[in-house]
Amino acid sequence: MNDFKWCLTGRCYRLGHDVPHAGAVIPVRFVAGRNVNPEELIPYLFHEIDPGFHEGAQAGDIIVTGRNFGMGPKMNGYIAMQALGLGLVCESMPFLAYRAAVGCGLRVLTDCADVTKYVETGDELEVDFSTGDFINHSRGLRRQFSPLPETLREIVALGGNAGWLKHWWETRRKEAS
Amino acid sequence: MGMTAVEKILAEASGAASLKAGEIVYPEPQIVVVHDFLIPPSKRELDALGITRLFDPDRVIIVTDHAVLYSSRQEAAFGKIIRQAVADWGIKQFYDVGQGGHGHIFLAERGIVRPGMFLFDNDRHCTNHGAYGAFALRTGAEITRVLATGTLWTMVPKTIRMAITGTLQPGVFARDIGLRMATDLRYGGACGVDIDYRVLELTGSALEQFSLDARVALCSSPTEARAVGVFIPPSEEMLTEIRAAARGPFMPVYSDPDAAFEAELEMDISGIGPQVALTGASDKGVDISHIEGTPIHHAFIGSCGSGKYEDLVIAAAVLKGNRVAPGVRFFITPGTEDTTKRLHEEGLSEIFHAAGAILLPAGCGPCFMGNMAPVYEGEVSVSTASTNPLGRMGEKGCELFLASPATVAASAVSGRVTDPRSIDALVKKTEEEPL
Repeated sequence: MNDFKWCLTGRCYRLGHDVPHAGAVIPVRFVAGRNVNPEELIPYLFHEIDPGFHEGAQAGDIIVTGRNFGMGPKMNGYIAMQALGLGLVCESMPFLAYRAAVGCGLRVLTDCADVTKYVETGDELEVDFSTGDFINHSRGLRRQFSPLPETLREIVALGGNAGWLKHWWETRRKEAS
Repeated sequence: MGMTAVEKILAEASGAASLKAGEIVYPEPQIVVVHDFLIPPSKRELDALGITRLFDPDRVIIVTDHAVLYSSRQEAAFGKIIRQAVADWGIKQFYDVGQGGHGHIFLAERGIVRPGMFLFDNDRHCTNHGAYGAFALRTGAEITRVLATGTLWTMVPKTIRMAITGTLQPGVFARDIGLRMATDLRYGGACGVDIDYRVLELTGSALEQFSLDARVALCSSPTEARAVGVFIPPSEEMLTEIRAAARGPFMPVYSDPDAAFEAELEMDISGIGPQVALTGASDKGVDISHIEGTPIHHAFIGSCGSGKYEDLVIAAAVLKGNRVAPGVRFFITPGTEDTTKRLHEEGLSEIFHAAGAILLPAGCGPCFMGNMAPVYEGEVSVSTASTNPLGRMGEKGCELFLASPATVAASAVSGRVTDPRSIDALVKKTEEEPL
């Protein structure tokens, strides 16, 4: 966990308010079909609002959104974001969407008031998810948001819920032996 | 600063002297409820990791409610996996097909869930237990972590308190009020609050008009508006009823007078008439006049939102001496096996049969993705299902209206969406003895 990269540096991809998970972040059919295969999900990340998004995305890029991002408790879109090495910074997320993002091991910050006012798509951002330090190098702006809580950083650093449970079980077995 | 009831319940479960909203804790549940459909994926995930022992099999309850009839070979295969999991994990509290009914209903009816309890449940409509003064938290697929470790990270939710005032009008029922609440509380709704992951605590002497069964119906629809819990402080009258069934001691929990509520709201129920939620969500409620007269093909009473005995008494009051309209199929799903037994004992099943309604086994019924008694393309359904997104009960090209048991029964009889206040027998019954 100590080696985990909490600070991402990359380009901003800005979205507005009320972007739903099914039908915007990822097509409905992947949600309904419970597809959790990152390789199949990645080509369709934001496909319905920005076809080809994945081709330009690079590890370290940061999606910045307005209020109420990703309604619903489903994980599919966050699985694709995590697999691409992206980060997510939102003005707000429904709690279950936030929970799903953490459960996928995604570097995520929520309740970042007015963050969409400080960025445009293409800006060079630097975000430390463990401290909440947010820098827009293109505009010379720096803001402080609440970090990802420490107890949740453990889940994210281990790759999400599945990784956390695997680690917990292996540690327990080692202790027992 | 005092604590809200849910903060107190979580503090007790977490071994903390006090807690406040926003803190992350690891509460220990008194029980963990897993519904049938989540057992196969959970078993697969835990088996793949080599986790074969649960944290405490005696605290885990497995219920069979989503797929009761095994309408497909796949569901029959699921049943086999569920029984294998029960055997492998050493679960003693397994309610198989025909043994309990809906987990959101029978566990409290049988006194297993009691006031002040904290429990984890994979399904979000565990909010029903708030009608009994308990707090149940939905885990979704993270139930595997609970099964393995006994807990899960939990953010203490904020509580919004709503005072209920006024008098329930004849022909209007708890489910109507719940649909109105969901509509007013939803994101961008009339209440002007954010109900996402908040507990809705109901209060006020007007709640005395709502029986225990009616209180369960109140809890359903706000959940669809994203409330994490609905909490109704148990009154003395409710406690008397709860004690009679309780299978163990309990201590009811109440919010402190100086607890920090995020918002204080008021709802006057006097002016609320029958509601219908339009296709898409429980929080798309409108007065019934908006769609009154729309021809229907499918009607259904049941689900965790309206599967209590009293809900079926309301239906029987409408159906007695009437027939389901030609071209309409009408399904009734009691919430529990105990309710099914009572329907037979007290002659209600005879009324349903004489009217041409079909009695289905206790459980979720068609509300679970229409895996029994589905709706077909182009058809219109009116039901008491817990939710109604497009395609929920079958094909996507259907209208799925949600309403109270009275509205559903009245509509099944007339063949059109019908205001139950037009049924004299029902109005008379509710005037004599409020349900």
